[in-house]
Amino acid sequence: MKSVALSNVSVRFGKLAALTDVNVAVGEGQAVMLVGPNGAGKSTLIRVLLGLVSPDSGALSVDGAARRVDNRFKQQLGYLPEAVAFADNLTGRQVALFFARARGVPKSQVDAMLERVGLSHAARRAVRGYSRGMRQRLGLGIAILAQPALLILDEPTGGLDQEGLTVLWSVLAEWRSQGRLLLVATHDIALMERRIDRVCVFSAGRVLADATPAELRARAGLAVKVVFSVATEVEARALADGLRGRAHDVVVEGEAVSAGVTPAELLPLLELGAGSSAVRGVRVIEPGLDDVYERLLGGAA
Amino acid sequence: MGRVARALVLHELLERTRDRWVVVVSVVFALLASGVSLYARSAEASAERLTGPSLVTLVGLVVPLIALVLGHDAIVGERERNTLGLLLSLPISKLELVMAKFVGRCLALCLALAIGLGAALAFAEPVQRSVLAALIVPTILLGVAFLAIGVLVSATTRRQITAASIVVVIWFLFVFFYDLGILGVLVITDGQVSTNIVAGLVSANPAGLFRVEMMLRFLGPGMLDNLPSNVELPTRLGSAAIWAGWIALPPLVSALLLRLERGKR
Repeated sequence: MKSVALSNVSVRFGKLAALTDVNVAVGEGQAVMLVGPNGAGKSTLIRVLLGLVSPDSGALSVDGAARRVDNRFKQQLGYLPEAVAFADNLTGRQVALFFARARGVPKSQVDAMLERVGLSHAARRAVRGYSRGMRQRLGLGIAILAQPALLILDEPTGGLDQEGLTVLWSVLAEWRSQGRLLLVATHDIALMERRIDRVCVFSAGRVLADATPAELRARAGLAVKVVFSVATEVEARALADGLRGRAHDVVVEGEAVSAGVTPAELLPLLELGAGSSAVRGVRVIEPGLDDVYERLLGGAA
Repeated sequence: MGRVARALVLHELLERTRDRWVVVVSVVFALLASGVSLYARSAEASAERLTGPSLVTLVGLVVPLIALVLGHDAIVGERERNTLGLLLSLPISKLELVMAKFVGRCLALCLALAIGLGAALAFAEPVQRSVLAALIVPTILLGVAFLAIGVLVSATTRRQITAASIVVVIWFLFVFFYDLGILGVLVITDGQVSTNIVAGLVSANPAGLFRVEMMLRFLGPGMLDNLPSNVELPTRLGSAAIWAGWIALPPLVSALLLRLERGKR
């Protein structure tokens, strides 16, 4: 599987339009992040891909050819549900062994998977004693057990500690580097933004934007923050006076001066800083993708 | 049955055998069945005549409860744990999923019943053993029918606690109040309801059918002496059809409901 696309998908639950003419595509080696407020349609889209919801209209295509969500398609899927819990009277290993049997994965790979997600020590303990993060890690391990071509993760960061996040980042990196497909629904935009290629912003069942993070930033037109470091507070104040009129929100913070500019104003400002003998260092801070998301949703409202 | 369904059957069996409630109820059943066996044995001369009816009463009360408890969380449990979608993301249809869960739990039920009846057998005199042997298949049918009802409840509810409450109500309705209801109808109508209708109503309830079949077996046709001679109890075929209906229809309806479901996980 090199690509998956849902085209013009609409789903209604009674009077509620859960999805309206939604187009989402995942290409080879791509990680696509679905973001949006609760009830925006992210989970419904995932359920369409899993075959849990039949759309009222629209089509699924795999590698450009129309497909149904049948068993052959499902064999290529890995799925991590949101806040997954599992049967709590079984051990983590027993749960994983069931999914291995169901997916036709050799038993020997189960222990390797448990090792990878950092659950070897708890493999023979009942899931009842697992923390939320441990269950999430077990879920992630089960999702990747059969090395699926398309990995669908619903709120994968929920409950994960730093160790769990490290495992998750390694899985995302592996999937992208091996040319496999990733679809991630999340509210943790700031955490995920460096690990994905494209963002689909959902609102009220529609896709508001589908672009790379850089394109979204440009579209949102949010200010870029530039921080100049100088040697003394006096120099900082002098630099700030020189910046006013060329940038906005100019603030002196000790031996540093920060200023906000539009992306178009950035280069002239940097040249100005480079021309000043007082400036010892420059930092450019782009707006976070979560700020961009807020702006886009604010615009939609 | 596909690979996923086979794996799910085994998984269900394993999970149920580690369910504390199931273990507790099964142990209680084994203790009671052994108690009946021991008590009837002490009666010596009438051991055979005591064991049958006593075990029929015990099985008629306890087995539907064990089966309903076993079945009540089959689907709703997965729903609450957010794993129903995960299971359905495997290459398996909704019908296969329901059937695999049902079969797996049937095996767990058979295990629980084997422990109970096996314990009774261990304390039985040779003369009681034929009685116990005659009970095995009808007890399994009774249990599987109520398990199927439990699975249907699990497919129609959104919360496990709701399903648990409903199966307790169903147990009371089928095991206690159903016969009381029929008696009430007879009292209200001053016995004007045809005996065939009464016999039909009793036999339509799996708990009633089990009791009628077992009492006929252990007490003989003489137990019908007080009834009019033209009363029609279900034939073997009729009885088989009733059992088949109670066992097959609820899981099929559960699968259909799951298939029609679009809005919920």
